[in-house]
Amino acid sequence: MSKFKRLQGKYLGHPLRLLIATAKGVAAAHLFSEYAYSVSGTWGASMMPTFEAIHDQVLISRFYRGGKGIVVGDIVTFDSVVEPGARVIKRVLGLEGDYVLRDTPGDSSTMVQVPQGHVWVIGDNLPYSRDSRHFGPVPKALIKGKVIAKVLPFKERKWIVNGLQPAG
Amino acid sequence: MATRRIASLFGRSSNSRHFLYGSRYVLISFVTWIPAIIFFNEHVGEVGIINGPSMYPYLNTSYNESIAKDLCWINKYNPTGNLQRGMIVAFRFVPISLSPCSTAHSFSLRNRSPESGRVAIKRIIALEGDEVQTRAPYPFPRAAVPPGHVWVEGDNRDRHKTLDSMRYGPISMNLITGKVTHVLWPWKSAGPIPWWQFKGRTKVFKARKEEPLE
Repeated sequence: MSKFKRLQGKYLGHPLRLLIATAKGVAAAHLFSEYAYSVSGTWGASMMPTFEAIHDQVLISRFYRGGKGIVVGDIVTFDSVVEPGARVIKRVLGLEGDYVLRDTPGDSSTMVQVPQGHVWVIGDNLPYSRDSRHFGPVPKALIKGKVIAKVLPFKERKWIVNGLQPAG
Repeated sequence: MATRRIASLFGRSSNSRHFLYGSRYVLISFVTWIPAIIFFNEHVGEVGIINGPSMYPYLNTSYNESIAKDLCWINKYNPTGNLQRGMIVAFRFVPISLSPCSTAHSFSLRNRSPESGRVAIKRIIALEGDEVQTRAPYPFPRAAVPPGHVWVEGDNRDRHKTLDSMRYGPISMNLITGKVTHVLWPWKSAGPIPWWQFKGRTKVFKARKEEPLE
């Protein structure tokens, strides 16, 4: 109680002090969501059936920022290569040095090598996804985090497990 | 005798508990400012150091005379908005090379970790939709800049002294973190950067200005 009284005495009637403290709090929260964890909504049909087209909320770990520790099969969120300001969620299918199929399976059998510092990303819903088949490899520097869990809707909550890892 | 007097000077009018409390207060009030400082540096502006000769003669004019480096102000607000040909931008550097070359310069870059988060400073030469007439390290005579990309080059005329789009092709606009607006150091060139006066030597076939779709 005395602690609360002390805070009241410090901030009540000191608008500038309160403003500065609020700004510092907002900056700290922003820093947490940029560099630790954040929750974000999904949009679009490109990752069906892993995520629904709308109204799904996912938990993103920001410790994978810049592509650190990303392996094949991880779902990553990155700044769009072709659209300034847009954020995209896709699955990583190739790391630097890997050879990947350039087009949709069945269209051609051209293989390309992913250049240094890049990854190859593909949506789970091939016909409705705009991904590396269209804009090419994605620079790792654009990767902003890895999707580690689905949090909403609450009934479908689950950890996202990488299913493309070798057994054992 | 003297040591006791010095000791009493430090211990004057404060016991150790009082000192700890005071320094804790100073420490906490400093630490709470750190997120605010990082926020400012990422979204408002930051002082940048120019490394290397790639922007010679405009930046680091005395790179071959001294080890002094220019300081500049990088505006971080809305970095991908309103980009123009001639602007100097800072962007997250992706070390790749389109053409297989064996110069020592590119070799040393290849060994560096791509995750190191290095930032490069170059000038925008062409915008999305433009076509560029390329020079030596680029494998094709012409390059089209795809949507959402820009073509960047260093000002240095020596192609071995700048690592730019001639080597790695157009870069995504989302890699750009800020615009270099002012030179802060040295004093004689300090001031706003008149990027609109820049006349490049690279031939750019400008895209026709599109009417905004209703």
